[in-house]
Amino acid sequence: MHIDHEHVAGGPEHEHPHVHEHTHEHTHDGVPHTHPHTHEHTHPHEHPHEHDHVHPHEHPHDHGCAGSCEGCASQCSHTPMEELTALMKYMAGHNAAHARELAELANQLEKIGNHTAYEQVMAAVSDFEKGNLRLTAVLSSLDVK
Amino acid sequence: MCLSTVYKNRMAPETVAMKNVMKIDCKDGVVILTDLMDRTVAIEGQLESANLVEGYVIVKEAV
Repeated sequence: MHIDHEHVAGGPEHEHPHVHEHTHEHTHDGVPHTHPHTHEHTHPHEHPHEHDHVHPHEHPHDHGCAGSCEGCASQCSHTPMEELTALMKYMAGHNAAHARELAELANQLEKIGNHTAYEQVMAAVSDFEKGNLRLTAVLSSLDVK
Repeated sequence: MCLSTVYKNRMAPETVAMKNVMKIDCKDGVVILTDLMDRTVAIEGQLESANLVEGYVIVKEAV
């Protein structure tokens, strides 16, 4: 995209011949009088004009995707599938880390003598791991394709 | 620990600078974001706030 704009060709000033008609006082036989006459001369002047062509230029832009490939017309080096797979791998690892943290929390509950709470949290850890196993299975099937 | 969404100046859908951010570096007045796919975005400004529970970060752009 570009914007048409005005500029002055050949710099701000240039010249070309043209004709003026004007009068000045002079005398014939000692009698002053005036009459119009013309002569050609040049003088520097300037004038604006427009032109219509394309200049190469750069301007900043973004793809409006904020780093997400959803709805992106393949501007990125990663496909949406690669992105989803990477995100799922991250989530599976992340969930495993959370499961370990929960197990550690359960152990602390056991240490302070709350065995019931320990068992409940460990049951939650088990559920967590089951969910993560399902995620890992999906990931494996995605890797095969 | 969790991935975050980084916003410019305020939290709104139109101010999202990057999603799934896993790393933030601040150097010489520039905040450099890196996402899960190792893409980077540099924003001139400073870290204003980071909510690590809700998973969002706000970067105040330099004027």
